[in-house]
Amino acid sequence: MLLKSTYNEFVKISAKPRSYVGLGAITILVGVILFALKSDGLSFISFVTSSFEQTLLFEGNILNGNLVAFIVLQMLVIHIPLLVALVTGDLVSGEGASGTIRMLATKPISRTNLLLSKFIAGGAYTFLIILWLGIMSFIVGKLLFGSGDLMVLNSDGLVILQIDDISWRFLSGFAVAFLALLTVSSLSICFSCFTDNSIGPIVITMAIIILFTIIGTLDVKIFDNVRPYLFTTHMASWRSFFEGPVPKNEILKSIIILLTHNVVLIFISLYKFNKKDIIS
Amino acid sequence: MNIIFRILIVLILPLNLFSQDASQSIAELMAKMNRITDYSADAVIKSDIPLIKILAVRATIYFKQKDKFRIVSKGIAILPKQGFVDISKLLSKMDGYTSIIAGYDNVSNIKAQIITIFPVNDTSDLILAKLWVDTDRDIILKSQITSRSNGTVTIEYSYKTQNEFGLPDSMVFIVDVKKFKIPKGVATDINRTSSIDEVKKTAKTGRIFINITNYKINKGISDDVFIKE
Repeated sequence: MLLKSTYNEFVKISAKPRSYVGLGAITILVGVILFALKSDGLSFISFVTSSFEQTLLFEGNILNGNLVAFIVLQMLVIHIPLLVALVTGDLVSGEGASGTIRMLATKPISRTNLLLSKFIAGGAYTFLIILWLGIMSFIVGKLLFGSGDLMVLNSDGLVILQIDDISWRFLSGFAVAFLALLTVSSLSICFSCFTDNSIGPIVITMAIIILFTIIGTLDVKIFDNVRPYLFTTHMASWRSFFEGPVPKNEILKSIIILLTHNVVLIFISLYKFNKKDIIS
Repeated sequence: MNIIFRILIVLILPLNLFSQDASQSIAELMAKMNRITDYSADAVIKSDIPLIKILAVRATIYFKQKDKFRIVSKGIAILPKQGFVDISKLLSKMDGYTSIIAGYDNVSNIKAQIITIFPVNDTSDLILAKLWVDTDRDIILKSQITSRSNGTVTIEYSYKTQNEFGLPDSMVFIVDVKKFKIPKGVATDINRTSSIDEVKKTAKTGRIFINITNYKINKGISDDVFIKE
C-alpha cells in the first residue's frame, strides 16, 4: 500500500507544471554557465590562479569537464533548495488548499503511511533534481570540455586531484549533496503539515535556510555552540570530498547531523499529521 | 696626481681581471650548452609549495635551440615560471649584461665560482642573477635569478649521467610564495575553521623537485612539438 501510495504521489508531482520548473531552471542555468566557461573560462581561472601565476606556471588542461562540473555544483547547490522546496513544500498543504486531502484521508491507508509516501516521493523528486544536475554538469561538461585533473580552490589553498582519483569523489559528493537537499525536502514537508497554504511552507523553508546560513557565516562567538548543529552548516560538506586528505570524521559528522534532522523532521511531521483535524 | 693614478690602477685592475675571468667562465659554459641542438627527457615533478597540494606528476621535457622549451604532462603540473631556459637565454646575449666574479663557495662539497650578472638595461625585468659554476666541469651547480615580475628563484642542479652536455639529472627550484593569496569569495567552503593567515605565515618559499631521466640528445625534434594546442 505504501508503494502504491508513493507511486500515486509521484504521479501527482509529475502532473504539476511547477515540478518541471526545477529541471528547466537547472538546464538553463547549467547551460548558461557552460556557455560562459566555454567562451571565457580561462579568464575565470586566471582570476583564481593569478597570484600563483606570478611565480608558477600551470601546465596541462585546467579548464576541463571535471573543473566545470565542480564550478557548476558549487554555484548551484546553494540555490537548488529553492527548486526542491517549490515542489515538496506543496505536497501536504497543496492537498489541503485544493480540498483533496479529505478524500485522500478516506482511503484505506494509515495517515502515517500516507505521509511517508509523500516523504518518499519528495525524496525521489529531490534525487531526480540532483541526478539531472549531475548529468548536466558532469556528463555534458565532460563532453564539451574533455577530461583532466581537477584543480579545487579551498580557503586554505589549491588542491590538485589526479584524474583517476576524481569520479568517486563526485559520486560521494553528489550523495552528500542529495542528503542535504533531502533535509530541505523534509523541512518543507514538515511545514506543509502545519498549514493549508501552498506558498507558506516554501517561503518559510527558504527563510530558515537564509537565516541559518547567515548564522553559520557570521563569525560571532554567541553562535559558536549553535553553528555545528545547523543543517545549513553541513549542506556544503560535499566539498570535503575534494580535499586532500579527505576529512572523513567531518564528513561522517555532517552525515549524522543531516540524517538526524531528517529523522526528527519526519517524526514531527508524522505526529502533526496524525493529530491533524482535517476539515478543509 | 701620480699617486692617485697608481691607486686607481690598483683598484680597477683586479676588477678588470675578475671581469675577464667571469666572461671566460660564461663563454666556456655557453660552449658546452651550444653542443646541444635539442633534447627530450622524461621528468617527474614533485611540488612542495605552501597553499598547494599536488601529487607527483610525470611529464616530458622538450628543448630546441635557441630558446624553444616545452613541458608536456598528461595532468596538471606546477612548474616555476622562470629558470628552465632563462639562464641560457640570458647568457647568450653577451652585450645585454655585465658579469663579475663575486667570490668562491662550496656547493654540495664542490668548489664553485660565484658569478654575478647585472643587466645593462635599467628597465629590464632582470634585476640580478648569480651563478655558482663548477669551472672544472663547466656546469652550473646553483643559480639565483631575481626579477621584478617573479621575485627570486633559486635553482640547485645535480649531475650524474649528462655531464658532457651539462644537463642536470635533478633540479630543485626554490620560489617565493609570499605573494600568494586566495581570492575571497571564490573559496566558499564555509565549514572550514582554519584561518588562511595561519597557513600563510608559516612559509615564505616553496620547492619544486624535478627528476629528469631518459635524455635523448641531438636526435632532432619537430617544431610542432612546441606549439601549444
